[in-house]
Amino acid sequence: MIYWIGIKEKLNNHIELASQLLLLVLGIYISIMSEKYGIWKTPVLFLGLFYWFFFRHKIKHPIIWMAFSALLLFDLYLMYLRVANHHFVLTFMTLSVLCYRYHKRSDILLKNIQILLVIVILASVLQKLISNQFISGNFYYYMLNRGFLFDPFLGFFPEISEVTKSNTESLIALQATDPNIGESIVLKDVFPNLGVISQVFAMLTIAMEFIVAIAILWKPKSTWTHLLFIMLIIGILCTRLETGFMALLAISGLFLCNNIKLRLLYVIIAMFCVVLVVTKLGYH
Amino acid sequence: MSNTIKVLLLKYGIPSLAVIVIAVQFFFVNTQSLNKWKGGGYGMYTGIHYYYNQIYIPGMSVDSLIANNNEMERIFKHLKLMPNDDNLMSAAEFLVKTTHKDSIHIQIWKPSVNSKHGVYSRALVNEIYYKKTSL
Repeated sequence: MIYWIGIKEKLNNHIELASQLLLLVLGIYISIMSEKYGIWKTPVLFLGLFYWFFFRHKIKHPIIWMAFSALLLFDLYLMYLRVANHHFVLTFMTLSVLCYRYHKRSDILLKNIQILLVIVILASVLQKLISNQFISGNFYYYMLNRGFLFDPFLGFFPEISEVTKSNTESLIALQATDPNIGESIVLKDVFPNLGVISQVFAMLTIAMEFIVAIAILWKPKSTWTHLLFIMLIIGILCTRLETGFMALLAISGLFLCNNIKLRLLYVIIAMFCVVLVVTKLGYH
Repeated sequence: MSNTIKVLLLKYGIPSLAVIVIAVQFFFVNTQSLNKWKGGGYGMYTGIHYYYNQIYIPGMSVDSLIANNNEMERIFKHLKLMPNDDNLMSAAEFLVKTTHKDSIHIQIWKPSVNSKHGVYSRALVNEIYYKKTSL
């Protein structure tokens, strides 16, 4: 009971908790990204850490948020077309929290996060709708037959792994031939009626993302909205361990959610994702 | 600046930046052949990753070319990400310079899948026949 009271106390201040989790994700992400152009990033990181350790309660400026924002923007400048999509989300969230440290208005911060989430999910829906490969189910069909989806569970089904392995071997053999000859291969299906299943799965993905985006736009604090959003995050994690992106979505959910139990669920998802990023079992 | 405008800017300024980034990505996808996976437009998992695009150079092994040549690897990666005429030209110029050949033919192929029949084939995205000009 005493543990739950402690947890509840922490969960009540959800903006601070979400900011701390975001700072944790930022620290890990920055450390991974610092392998590139490290020589330029070293002074910024050092100064940020120095000020954070010695002066974070003495000066009014959030130096560590400034340092991390600068590093994210630096990477955007040098690798705009190479960074992952969640680099952009992380940058926008970081800038929102940085501004919040000055204006101190939670309604503005929450509006930032809400609209940002809606834009990201709706853009993802739009991109899927205009992709022939996605709408036709061909993309999921390929991914499933290669063993690229639901891979954490594939170990339980050795017969599926055999099929995906055989498909990979056929593809490698095809890749070695001159593509101008026009040769093709027939992929083995990991289970029957995969073409139809892939198309239905594609439609369901679009429908689910669209419903979640509209729910967040319309009722950002509703328990139903957050239940749907959590289902979407868990669904994506089961399909593909996109842990870096999902940690950010969970933190966004934590910012917006009013239900204590769902806040706890968001924290657990974010922590789970962070652990998988650190252990490199998930993608950063 | 009035307080209302300031609040509006604070509330919608950062999300507007996200919209601008998405618009820029759409522009690059449609005019510069940028792959949808990149550029901040959230088009990941809408098609097979560009990593699986194939660079084909008749008479040459791409694997051998990129082995121990980081610059070549970088150029080819960028070519797979954005297989437009400009990038093909840069790759061809670099390749001719590196291999001391007079001419080169580079093709980019992408995977094509038909879930109805299970057929996997390759479709030509872009190509260049490049001949070194001697002055």
